Amino acid sequence: MTGPLIPMGVIPETWNNVIALIIGIGFGFALEASGFSSSRKIMGTFFGYDFVVLRVFFTAAITAMSGIIYFDFMGWMDASMLYINPYYVSSAITGGLVMGAGFALGGFCPGTSFCGVAIGKIDAMIFSAGLFVGIFIFSEIYPLFEKMYNSGNLGGAMIYDMLGLSKGVFAFLLIIVAIGMFYAATFVEKKVKKVDY
Amino acid sequence: MNKNYIFLTILAVVIGLGILIMPETKHDNQIKPVDLLIAIDDPSRFLSTDVITDRLVKKDPTLLLIDVRTASQFNSFSIPGAINIPLDSILARSTAEIMGNKDLDKVFYSNADVTSDQAWIINKRLGYKAIYVLQGGVNKWFNTIVINEIPADTEPVEIIELYQFRKGACQYFFGNNETGSVKESNAAPKKAVVITKKATGASAGGGC
Repeated sequence: MTGPLIPMGVIPETWNNVIALIIGIGFGFALEASGFSSSRKIMGTFFGYDFVVLRVFFTAAITAMSGIIYFDFMGWMDASMLYINPYYVSSAITGGLVMGAGFALGGFCPGTSFCGVAIGKIDAMIFSAGLFVGIFIFSEIYPLFEKMYNSGNLGGAMIYDMLGLSKGVFAFLLIIVAIGMFYAATFVEKKVKKVDY
Repeated sequence: MNKNYIFLTILAVVIGLGILIMPETKHDNQIKPVDLLIAIDDPSRFLSTDVITDRLVKKDPTLLLIDVRTASQFNSFSIPGAINIPLDSILARSTAEIMGNKDLDKVFYSNADVTSDQAWIINKRLGYKAIYVLQGGVNKWFNTIVINEIPADTEPVEIIELYQFRKGACQYFFGNNETGSVKESNAAPKKAVVITKKATGASAGGGC
């Protein structure tokens, strides 16, 4: 858990894995319940017949963002205690391209592939096996990538700092953009031929 | 258009407007002055040269010696296994990653106590834990561990044992030299293996 309850000492650190397991089960359940274990649903984003992935993740992003900002303002949590993954420029771009290509080819992302495995989908099982093969190959040839992998560390960089905007303005713009995308996605879905699955 | 969607859109815009007009929350991550004073007053922040040497000899993986002197001073002589973070880089991002590692005991040292104490106070104010100062710095370390005078036979057994420990440690670091004859060039700093675990509160990244 990234906090703030564990760093603040409200929950002992030994509970970390237990809480992670419970949240993980809940996350998997939500993914499966929303149909994310179907590669066709995920592929809908690329072909324009189903934008549920975009809706779910943008809704999650703006909900969490608003929650953190409001909670921080009310003093219910200390947002500065949240752990922010460091931003490695080159590896983030390369990793994003590789992940996107794998996403489009396989129709799963790592999380949804395990949901697929859990309900017995053969394509998901092959995808997950491929995931481990990929991890193995990457680990074996890691020294080749090591320099690139660790280059361009910008630390816990914030996009609004980079754009020179204040946190509030950026958050507001993101909400407006998200709403715009939801409506645009609905518009595209209506135009594109329905796929039955 | 579904009425629910219109309602949710209005709700999201209202929440967004709230964020827009909300004053930005400022976080003061420094510890309270009273806590800093209590910590300064606590002698346990000092570690003696013998304690550090004992841990170095035992290859304690939780010990990280940080030389806060300049790079040229570090290169001319340093305690084996130490890493160099000059005082002017103590607030660098790479330093924050090392300081945030809760599993390491970070021990600052300089020539004497002054610079290392400054580094300690800066990091203490930032709220980092498990940070210490090597009492007496590299000068005392050299004078106690490297230069060690043979005690008289009539000295108490503790003094003789301490001498034997220091002599053994000196041989461990610099080979079987005669006491006090260590040349500075023999003591070229080893590159320390820094276990760069993620900073405080680190956890695995998210994703779908």
